Amino acid sequence: MTTGIAPDLARRLAKRRSRRKLWAHLPLALVALLTIFPFYVMVILSTQNGQAISLPGSLFPVHFNLSAYLAAIQGGDVMRWALNTLIYAGVSVVLVLTFASFAAYAFAKKRFFGKTVLFWTFIAMLMVPYQLTLIPQFILVAKLGGIDTYWGLIVPTLANAQALFLMRQFISQVPDELIDAGRIDGAGEFRTFVQIVLPQTKPILATLGVFVFLWHWNDFLWPLVETRSPDHYVMTVGLYSLEAQNISLAITMAAAVITFLPIFFLYLVLQRYFIRSVAITGLK
Amino acid sequence: MSERATHMPHGRETSLEAPGRRPLPSGGEGGEGGEGDKGGDAAVGVAAAGPRHPAITQAWQRMRRNGTGMALVFIAPYVVLFFVFRIGPAAAGMVLSFGSYSINGTTHWEGLSNFHALFTDPLFWTSLRVTVVYTIIAVPLTVVVSLGMALLCTRSIRGIKVYRALYFLPVITSLVTSSVIWQWIYSSNGPANWFFESIGLGAVPWLSSNSMVLPSLSLMSVWTRFGFDMLILLAGLLAIPKEYTEAAMIDGASAWQTFWRVTLPQLRPALFFVVVLELIQSFQVFDVIYVMTRGGPGDASYSLVYLIYDQGFNFFNFGYASAAGVVLFAITLVVSLWQRWVFRGDGT
Repeated sequence: MTTGIAPDLARRLAKRRSRRKLWAHLPLALVALLTIFPFYVMVILSTQNGQAISLPGSLFPVHFNLSAYLAAIQGGDVMRWALNTLIYAGVSVVLVLTFASFAAYAFAKKRFFGKTVLFWTFIAMLMVPYQLTLIPQFILVAKLGGIDTYWGLIVPTLANAQALFLMRQFISQVPDELIDAGRIDGAGEFRTFVQIVLPQTKPILATLGVFVFLWHWNDFLWPLVETRSPDHYVMTVGLYSLEAQNISLAITMAAAVITFLPIFFLYLVLQRYFIRSVAITGLK
Repeated sequence: MSERATHMPHGRETSLEAPGRRPLPSGGEGGEGGEGDKGGDAAVGVAAAGPRHPAITQAWQRMRRNGTGMALVFIAPYVVLFFVFRIGPAAAGMVLSFGSYSINGTTHWEGLSNFHALFTDPLFWTSLRVTVVYTIIAVPLTVVVSLGMALLCTRSIRGIKVYRALYFLPVITSLVTSSVIWQWIYSSNGPANWFFESIGLGAVPWLSSNSMVLPSLSLMSVWTRFGFDMLILLAGLLAIPKEYTEAAMIDGASAWQTFWRVTLPQLRPALFFVVVLELIQSFQVFDVIYVMTRGGPGDASYSLVYLIYDQGFNFFNFGYASAAGVVLFAITLVVSLWQRWVFRGDGT
């Protein structure tokens, strides 16, 4: 008797699903086009140096040339900014991961006085908006003579509470037996950490590395107040300065492409880490 | 471990314990191992004088056993950085909101005068209104679009992964880059107006009119944010057991009813998380405004964080800007506590 109900239901479900599948493509593709359009605009405008903009003609690659890129690289400081950004992001990734993983190991596996309070103090700082700390941070760095220097740019961004939190979560799952085994074999604290604990955290290191890199690559407010001379700008600040100076649209867009491309290629290669890093850290 | 190496933690510990202890009186819960550690701590002072003293050796042995000394070496760089560059400035920001700072480096106590100035300044109320209006438009718009896209993305159709990867592109793009592009899209001869004119609706003053600038910025924020929110909602949707929706359908529920009565209640935690995140993000809107409108036209997009920046770094009213920062903190805190409270009530 059950055969009467089941095929009917199955047919209803299947019908609903297949109809949905077809229709689902339409909005998905439409939104995909809308999502891509600004990127398309960026690229296409960067290839039309010296051309008057007229729509819709300018949206097609009729006057294709790469002279805007040449102008951006030769005339401006774009390559310098790219290098600065690479230093800002690259050095920060290495140092954040190092400091956070060391501290996270102690917080996860060691006992020390005031551990719980200290840890939750750090985590509670996630609730304090960065903008409140910005001004005293600026004054502090200024007093230390760090304005418009690499270290002044990098050092204040290294205390990353999210990195500590995620690393601690991960390291606390490393079995104690593994660590004890290392110790019994005569490894010192430092070797135990580097050779036994750290290899276990590779997935989270990669994810966090991507997160920190992306965050620094796109950071704007801190570099904006911290850097003074165009020689020390990062890409975001430099791109803004081009825009503010009314440099030709094509050159500005070429600089925008240069800002975007490294992240784009990184995203193509490490897509799953990008998605995971943004998903677990919760903030852009 | 060499003799030299074993000394290191001793020497460092004195300086390290201080930040660890500071939050204790207010926090109250000092950790269970407090008593034992204190013994070790007391011994440290004499450690340099005579490391061979049996009592000290004993204390060192105990610390070594539970790894206290080494733990302090491990946390040292992070703790120092965090106190100097995060907690210190945050506390200083709150103190500064009750004072004034002049360029020569002196600070004066001003009591509540910054807050008085802030609350009687029409510009502050403008910035608060701008921020609230932006939030009211941007957050629901972004969340609804994200939810819709998440629902569409649950379908197992060909190429869905490509779609998802594409939607994520704006999330990884810097807001400055996005702003530069969108400023052109919104410009009077830009593609947005070209499109509106060619379908016969006429040009829209996207960024140049007081009434349109916030909706325009909100619309752009949908583009920058939905890929991210969608991902979280999608994860939430995929976690709902299929049996739930199928059971509803067996009972004869329409797709619409299934969505409202089954899917949405199940999705509540993820949805709530996304809303809170968007609220906080929207309240801190800055990059986009700085690049695209500089608070204008007039002060129609003069947001709270833009006020902090403008007062702090254009006018060097550090005390006044810090007071605005404290207001931002208070708002963020209320949203965060609300989140805590809801999640506790939920049992999730």
